[in-house]
Amino acid sequence: MEVTFKVYRKDPEKDGKPGRSNYTVEVAESATVLDALLKIRDEVDSTLAFRASCAKGYCGECMVRVNGSARLCCTAKVPDYTKKGPEISLDPLRNIPVIKDLVFDFDAFLWNKIKAVKPWLESDGSSVNGENLLPDSQMQDMRKVMSCFNCGMCDEGCTVLPVDFNFLGPAALTKAYRLAFDPRNKNSREQVKIVEKPKGIWDCVHCYEADEHCPRGIEPTKRIVALRDKAYHAGITHETVARHHKSFAASVKESGWVDEGRLAVESEGLTNVKGLMKLLPTAAKALAKGKAPIPYMHAKRPDADRIKKIFEKAEQEEK
Amino acid sequence: MQEFDVLVVGGGAAGLRAAIAAKHAGATVALISKVHPLRTNSAIAQGGLNAPLGKNDSPESFAQDTFVAGDDLCDRDVVRIFTQKASQDIIWLERMGVPFNRDTEGRLDRRPFGSNRQSRTCYTDDRTGHMVLQVLHEQFQREQIPSFEEWFVSTLAVDNGTCVGAVALSLRSGKLDAFSARSTILASGGFTRVYLPSTASLGTTGDGQSLGYNAGARLMDMEMIQFHPTVLAKREGLLLTEALLSEGAVVVDHKGGSISDIKGMPRHKISLSIYSRQNGAGSVLLDLRPVGKEKLARFPQTQELARTVGGLDVTKEVLPISPAAHRPMGGIETNAAGETSIDGLFAVGECACNGLNGAGRLAGNTLTEAVVFGRKVGEAAAKHATAVAKKSFPATKVGDEEQKLARIMSGDSSQDTVRKIHGELGRLMNEKVGLIRNGAGLKEALTEIQNLEERFSRVRVKNPSRVYNYELTSYLELASMLTLAEVVALAAQSRTESRGAHQRADFPERDDTNWKSHTVATLAGGSVQLQKKPMASS
Amino acid sequence: MKYAFYPGCVSRGGCPELYPSAVKVAEKLGIELDELKSVGCTGAGVLPQNISDPINARTFAKAEQMGLPIMTICSTCQGVMAQANYRLKEDPKYRDKINREFLADEGLEYKGTTEVKHLLWVIFEDYGIERLQALIQRPLKGLKVSPFYGCFLRRPPEAITPTKELNRRKAYLDELIAILGADMADISGKGKCCGFPILSANEENSLAMVAKHTGESKQKGADFMVTPCPLCHLNLDGNQARAEAQTGQQIDLPILHLPQFLGLALGFNPDEMNLKRHIVSTDEVESKVSMMS
Repeated sequence: MEVTFKVYRKDPEKDGKPGRSNYTVEVAESATVLDALLKIRDEVDSTLAFRASCAKGYCGECMVRVNGSARLCCTAKVPDYTKKGPEISLDPLRNIPVIKDLVFDFDAFLWNKIKAVKPWLESDGSSVNGENLLPDSQMQDMRKVMSCFNCGMCDEGCTVLPVDFNFLGPAALTKAYRLAFDPRNKNSREQVKIVEKPKGIWDCVHCYEADEHCPRGIEPTKRIVALRDKAYHAGITHETVARHHKSFAASVKESGWVDEGRLAVESEGLTNVKGLMKLLPTAAKALAKGKAPIPYMHAKRPDADRIKKIFEKAEQEEK
Repeated sequence: MQEFDVLVVGGGAAGLRAAIAAKHAGATVALISKVHPLRTNSAIAQGGLNAPLGKNDSPESFAQDTFVAGDDLCDRDVVRIFTQKASQDIIWLERMGVPFNRDTEGRLDRRPFGSNRQSRTCYTDDRTGHMVLQVLHEQFQREQIPSFEEWFVSTLAVDNGTCVGAVALSLRSGKLDAFSARSTILASGGFTRVYLPSTASLGTTGDGQSLGYNAGARLMDMEMIQFHPTVLAKREGLLLTEALLSEGAVVVDHKGGSISDIKGMPRHKISLSIYSRQNGAGSVLLDLRPVGKEKLARFPQTQELARTVGGLDVTKEVLPISPAAHRPMGGIETNAAGETSIDGLFAVGECACNGLNGAGRLAGNTLTEAVVFGRKVGEAAAKHATAVAKKSFPATKVGDEEQKLARIMSGDSSQDTVRKIHGELGRLMNEKVGLIRNGAGLKEALTEIQNLEERFSRVRVKNPSRVYNYELTSYLELASMLTLAEVVALAAQSRTESRGAHQRADFPERDDTNWKSHTVATLAGGSVQLQKKPMASS
Repeated sequence: MKYAFYPGCVSRGGCPELYPSAVKVAEKLGIELDELKSVGCTGAGVLPQNISDPINARTFAKAEQMGLPIMTICSTCQGVMAQANYRLKEDPKYRDKINREFLADEGLEYKGTTEVKHLLWVIFEDYGIERLQALIQRPLKGLKVSPFYGCFLRRPPEAITPTKELNRRKAYLDELIAILGADMADISGKGKCCGFPILSANEENSLAMVAKHTGESKQKGADFMVTPCPLCHLNLDGNQARAEAQTGQQIDLPILHLPQFLGLALGFNPDEMNLKRHIVSTDEVESKVSMMS
């Protein structure tokens, strides 16, 4: 079948401006997009730059956007993309600096972020006492999380990265989960401390885009939520977030629902004059429109005491 | 110029392990890899890694199985070292974080695998290579070893018979740089892409073997190429782990007759059995349904790749399989410490041939080999670096490489392309230097390889840039492959017997009288010199 | 059609315009609402699961007692409850534990049969588009509207769109805009996060997201944005001025709640839908609407 590939181009040695090249090639019905790219580079335009390694779907190297959706191009079957017409567009992943054509800066995007979470067990490796004895159930979750092959799809779909490239991102944070929750890691508290700093777990909006994008069902968002829970229960939290969570929990515990006025005030901190001043303009507008819930003037819901009991029971169990 | 005590070329399992060991031994270390370590071929390994950890197991029993799989061509001393150290090195991996599957006592579980007579293969579902590579890379990062990723080594620097380092091209900047080192370790993997189809990644092109060989190092047992029996025939080279066979998967021929004489056999025998019952590629089928849902849960990668690559649901459909080239036993000749015939040059892993594997690798030995010898060779290289005086890096080497690249990238190219020549080479090797060889076919192969080399000499790299110029790297990789293909064919031609992975239709019997020897190839005066190296008597 | 109505905290707190407009619209459509009054906040993804799961299980048990499915008017309530419900349904042992430890002493038990649906889904799946179309009195022709779903109405997939057929849920708001007669000003961020969850942790990023989405919508010529989530509304409307200040843009994009949008098409006038309560002025929308039949 004859297909036209419209490929993103960028040449750092020329003007570095994005462009597009169109290549029309004959490919087999069973061909993948990678097959086509290799053919194009070999027979049509050898200046085309793209990465590939295993060519069989397990190493994560050949990520590109095919017709706008990120995926491994070595498992992208051409006929799946030509149903609406014999044209396929190929682009690098979004929100990542592009070096050349389809080769993007994976160091900045992912590798450096993984390095930043100190991704190793602090272990001496001495085999004198044999292996760590562990039930397989504990290793099962580790095998799931570690099946991550750094494809970058979770980061590509992330909502925060487009506005803040320095956010660690779901992939690096999933790696942090692997370290924080590996029962053999004596250093797990330190790992949590690393990722609860700014640009870490508290910057995640838990929109679940990462879970939707992960091709291996690793559920990065759930891992980040678990890290947040762990941090919270270990008393390691970002001050503002800790205040926010404490206030939220306190008003639901007392009244059964959230006192937003109180929440806004307590998140900034009752003694944080600067922070509280920041809220004034919005609060004033809201008051004028009749939208501002007056903090602490908050009615209890029916059965609020039942909700309180649930809190008390759960808190007791934690101990 | 960059200067280090130890330079490791290749970021796969063996290279990473060697780099870590060298650093622990006190050397300054650097790693060069043409792809990021986590994209290397090590991730392909699925089944597991062997260690004699069982109550009824022993290094001796392990050694015995290794000898049998190697069809008695293994170096007994090397095997002894290997089988004695395997347990300690695997436990090191566990302590560093590999999430091995466990038995009911919480110990490392061991699955039956290949021709191991005891269950001694430790595993993480069917992603063992991936997990081991990941944990090795974690520890590699812990050591903060400078890592030159996406750098392509274009030549070794050898001065008066001593290797003093290498020259490499940065894909990102396009610049060449010199890497001066007292010890250089080649850990760049196998050369299976000489065969098409093959299970290996695109970059498994024998760069290290070719670099060493061109610098004067010897290559050993190059004719020994292991074909893996259960490779999906639908999509070129998708490996399905042999562990499936030990867990109950069934192989049937196109008539529906089961192929059952393969249980517990060494790989070459399984491959030959399937090959002989084939009626065209893909006519033999692997049925995973008898494995059962519960056991199949330990093969998530197999299920995923069968679906994404092959479009098949293993719980409902059967898989067409055909043996395909998987990995070489041969490589750069080394001793147990990884030393080559060139002072200061070491080799380890699939790049090397230290006598461990003989004429056939025991299933599950490869990853163990990578970590056991990765550690040993890293330590040996570090030790060597402290013992030798620093030699100066030849001043003209980088300039020479600039000229070499300039030559490749200038002038008119013929109508041939790298991929076209590679394709023909791969199919030729598969057909005439493949599972079963014969004298006439080998002779034809050698003539054809000469033709391909001649055609290759008239190809030029048309892409004028040096930044991420994959046409250039493919060109250099093809040069390696053509060189090695010739050695493989010549070695196969010279060995007039059948042993392990080397099967000659015209010499179908094993000939211990004449052939208890390795074949050794050296580049001398521009051509291949072959010698027989008798096995060390034990 | 009768539902156990769960209005959530914000519809009577920071967005008090939402509750009355939702009630009025339900009445107009003929959807009976029996409000769940003595239940707690879903936790909104802020409370840890060991506390929010029992609270939500209790809510589900109460609805089960009433024999009614739950209807929500907030994407966040919907998402958090759907996830909790998924856990409780998938793992009977877990459900038993929660029942035993938290619900039993009140005499409650969640048997795992409650369905939780957002008003948007109710309209498409239970109520029916034809029925809705028959009640449209003021097709919103000439208005350009951007959809903004709110993350928790679209993800995680196993809780929100557990089957292939339900993948259609990802496009309901887009479709509704067309059904109500308006044109869509599509934005790339319609299914993305509004930034509300990180308002306290990282205000800069939160406001950047507001500016991104509302800015793009305005650029595409939208008259307003419609969202089924009052938490999104709080950020997109309440903090739009701060987002403008941070990024140096002028946006001025009114944000409407889903029931208000429906209400206008059903014939309610803007005052009845409490449009004056918004922070970003809805005056222009009101004047356009009043010029229609």
